[in-house]
Amino acid sequence: MFNLAILKDTVAIHPSNFGVPPEQALIVELNKKYANRILHDVGLCVSVFDLSEVGEGKVRYGDGYLWYKTVFRMVVFRPFTSEVLLGKVKSSDESSIRVSLGFFDDIYIPAIYLPQPSCFDPNERAHFWMPESELTKPHELLDTPTVGRMYIDMGEVVRIRVEADEFYDDEPGPPKALEGVAVAKEARRAPYSIIASIAEQGLGSVSWWNGAGAEEEDAMEES
Amino acid sequence: MEVINPRSALLSNFEVLELLRDLENEHLARTKTAIRIKKEEEASGISSAARHPATIEITENVRTVQVEAIQYLAAEYQPTSSQTSTGITQLVKDLSSYDLTKAEKLQIVNLAPTQPVELYVIVEELEDRLGDAMESVLSTVSASLSAASSQPVNTSSPLRLTSDTMADLSLQYPSEDFDDGAIVDDMIFDDEGQGVGVEGDLDKEED
Repeated sequence: MFNLAILKDTVAIHPSNFGVPPEQALIVELNKKYANRILHDVGLCVSVFDLSEVGEGKVRYGDGYLWYKTVFRMVVFRPFTSEVLLGKVKSSDESSIRVSLGFFDDIYIPAIYLPQPSCFDPNERAHFWMPESELTKPHELLDTPTVGRMYIDMGEVVRIRVEADEFYDDEPGPPKALEGVAVAKEARRAPYSIIASIAEQGLGSVSWWNGAGAEEEDAMEES
Repeated sequence: MEVINPRSALLSNFEVLELLRDLENEHLARTKTAIRIKKEEEASGISSAARHPATIEITENVRTVQVEAIQYLAAEYQPTSSQTSTGITQLVKDLSSYDLTKAEKLQIVNLAPTQPVELYVIVEELEDRLGDAMESVLSTVSASLSAASSQPVNTSSPLRLTSDTMADLSLQYPSEDFDDGAIVDDMIFDDEGQGVGVEGDLDKEED
């Protein structure tokens, strides 16, 4: 789930921080810049791991900052393809289920990656799975009794497998101002999103496969 | 800004949890020291309008990701909070005798499967490659978990106390509620190193 990325950057330390040991000050500045932010094609930066190389602090003409060239390692969140993770279901709609890890929310399970046969129940606003059912049409599945359905409810812990991830680098447009008041930023595409699947045996709600779920396990082994 | 290597090494959840907990403890220890110093200054009537030279501010994004990641990694449905570094080293050593890729070994450490079905999901072609060894893999994993004691770090109470104050910590005086909490927490946190060192240095700077 997490890996180390080696990054190189130039960091400025303000004179008010000269009393702090430079390594500490540099790590704080780097964390300020990178923590909880997404680097394109790298992943979600969590925290600086350590500093590998730090050059001498140099003063530039015109300001009092000390500029350091640093090479450092950063803990990055970027699950690899086919990695298995545990997450909680955040919300569901007709086309997908959204799973959250607390610190990262943009994990989607599109309907094609749900175990077959599944259907979305608009009354419960949740997807459900009918294990060992031969029905395929949504309206047939919705006619089945609710008892046999395996619902995927909000807040449930699910085991997911990562299928793909996508990075978007949307450039912010020029700031728009209406009558002198800046308009708030509209929601953009998430810069980093993960597509996951729960279609295989062992995936999906954790409660389906625990010791109590031995029946599903035996049944699915045949498929 | 340059990315030299986007993936130079893989980290297990346990290592990341340890790192984040250490950073959080350091931050909380520094916070408490800073507040103690401010209280002393207040009490002795020194004007502290100027920012103290040795304080470090922590921005919101850092704390947010730290808190949320610790919450996720230490959740009960995750095995991470019941792992230890010796347990994991032993587990990796035992796993090396089986024919598993690095990614599969890492996932076994992170997910700690105790049931065959969980192992199916992680390892491809389980029967062909492991066959009977499957049971021994599972028992090795459970052994590494049960050998561990649960982590003693108590993260819930300090978060309650600091989450309101941390955003503008360095310049503002903390709310009065903090006072009682600070003294109680002295018992829980191990900040013997920090407290002595920082206060010693500060005296020099007061010149």
